[in-house]
Amino acid sequence: MNRPPLLSIQNLRAWYRPGKHILTDFSIEINAHEAIGLIGLNGAGKTTFLNLLSGLHPHFHADRILVDGCESTFRNPDFKLRRYTVFAEDHSFQYFTFWEYLSYVFAAYGQKIPDVSCLVEGFHFGEYTDMLLKDLSMGNQKKAFLITAFTLKPELLLLDEPVNGLDFASTEYLYQLIAGYKEHGTVLFSSHILESVTLTSDRVLILENGKIRKNFEQEEIDTAKIREALHEETHL
Amino acid sequence: MKKHIYKAFAKKLFGARYERLGKTVFTEIILFYSLHITGLQVRIAPSVLYLMTTVFTAGIMWQALSSSDHAGQLKHMLMLPFVGKEFISGYVGMLGIYTLITKTTMLWSAVFAVSDRNLPELIVSVLCALNGVFLPSLIFVLLRNMDAYRFFLPLHRVFAKPFYMGQSSGRQSPWQTVHAARLTPQKSGCAYMWKYFFRYLTAHKNYLVNTAAMCGIACVLPLLFGNTEPGFILPIGLGILSMNTPLCTLLSCDPSLNQAVRFLPGQKRLFCVSYCVFIFGVNLTVDIIFLSSLAARLGSLGMDAFLMAVFFALQGAVGSVWLEWSYPIKNWKIESDLWHHPRKYIVPAALVLIAGLLGTVPWFLYILYGILGIEILAVRCSFEG
Repeated sequence: MNRPPLLSIQNLRAWYRPGKHILTDFSIEINAHEAIGLIGLNGAGKTTFLNLLSGLHPHFHADRILVDGCESTFRNPDFKLRRYTVFAEDHSFQYFTFWEYLSYVFAAYGQKIPDVSCLVEGFHFGEYTDMLLKDLSMGNQKKAFLITAFTLKPELLLLDEPVNGLDFASTEYLYQLIAGYKEHGTVLFSSHILESVTLTSDRVLILENGKIRKNFEQEEIDTAKIREALHEETHL
Repeated sequence: MKKHIYKAFAKKLFGARYERLGKTVFTEIILFYSLHITGLQVRIAPSVLYLMTTVFTAGIMWQALSSSDHAGQLKHMLMLPFVGKEFISGYVGMLGIYTLITKTTMLWSAVFAVSDRNLPELIVSVLCALNGVFLPSLIFVLLRNMDAYRFFLPLHRVFAKPFYMGQSSGRQSPWQTVHAARLTPQKSGCAYMWKYFFRYLTAHKNYLVNTAAMCGIACVLPLLFGNTEPGFILPIGLGILSMNTPLCTLLSCDPSLNQAVRFLPGQKRLFCVSYCVFIFGVNLTVDIIFLSSLAARLGSLGMDAFLMAVFFALQGAVGSVWLEWSYPIKNWKIESDLWHHPRKYIVPAALVLIAGLLGTVPWFLYILYGILGIEILAVRCSFEG
């Protein structure tokens, strides 16, 4: 018997002001153990969609939200325990060091912290682990949140423009982590860099005016094709 | 060019269509008339009015100048080729106008509604308010630049420096220990949050000074009551001391933290309980100072006094955290808006009313304990729900 999708959303609509929808007729099925890349112009609805999944956007309506085939909500405590988000810009917990932030997040998820030395090394973050987050550069703050995310290994990992602010080496390392995440769970991430989605994703979704305009399955993922589709969108 | 600078700052502070200006004037008129029609008259000596106007305006102006929430906007504007003097006069001038219109006139509308003033007094009050704007601006600059005699020429550099350099770059944090990466033993989430709150408190001098001031007030408060009935001094004193709770606008002040605690799981329990216990601890410390000072004046106080202090400290903490979690203040313009927002005074006002009631009916405390217990249970259930 086939396992139901990890998350299934039907006819999602989201808005900031009544009447002005950011997402509309948005239906998606997210399977367990896949890497999905979201790409689209500014204002296409990528961040709104990720914020919705994080339970942070209050103005929405969906005909159905199913988690593992059961009715759920984005703010359901069980669903919260199964996902973690790295935001495009995050200045939270500025008076924590990386270790304290990591420990706090693991306490919130009720888990024990595993060895993180490999990730710390991979992101070249060793010398910053004992500094307060407020004293770190934007890129290093992002690394702190990314290391936490990949240490936590939630079933659904949401990354909003994870590449922004990262140095070259860390970007390459992040691509490897995203591509290899299928082993642990599902990763859904947004990006404006075509290479980041083509190199890592099993599925690429092009968003346009709050709708999924194109869905590229694994065998269809081709940089030229996606570029062409994005150019079409720009000229529309 | 000058016009654009003023316009940019004015829109930042008063809203895109200056809507805050109208709202503030309307609130002031309502406040003035509502106090005026009560017929209440209070004698306020002119010297007290002048001192109050100067200190209040200067305090707000100082908070506005030292606040870091304009840093982002200023950083961008300082990159543009604006003339330094125009830029500084625009920035300080607009902050001054904002302070006078939204804060000082609010104070005046309350004071003038309950006390008659003549024209010379009004003129001197206005001069005092202007002094309250200029004096802190001058001291702010002088403290940041030892070349005080060159103040008027390189003013823009003086102001620019903290924004260009960032708030703490180049400075090592007192908690920062740069040694080999190691994993600290995992403690409970609450322990981490208390550490966080303590750091936040010590890193924000305004909160620290406020807390120290509350401790000072707690020391001298029993003396200020004079020959008031001892049964009234205790609850009223505890009520007054709940007027200023540090960190009670933590989430409103830090939108990123607000977002983070809402997306992480289990935060109602982990974050809110730690937050509540921290505020309770600070409140109780101030209350115990007050009890000690009162005991030195009246003799020993007994267990009831301590229980009452626990009630006020806990009720203040529960109320503050519940309001901050459920109704964080949004759309504020400068940090000092948060410290003087009416929402901040809901809990203290309720506690002062309860204090008045307890002064009349002391045994009512035990009923209040029952209500507090129900409240805690209700909050807990709502958190779990």
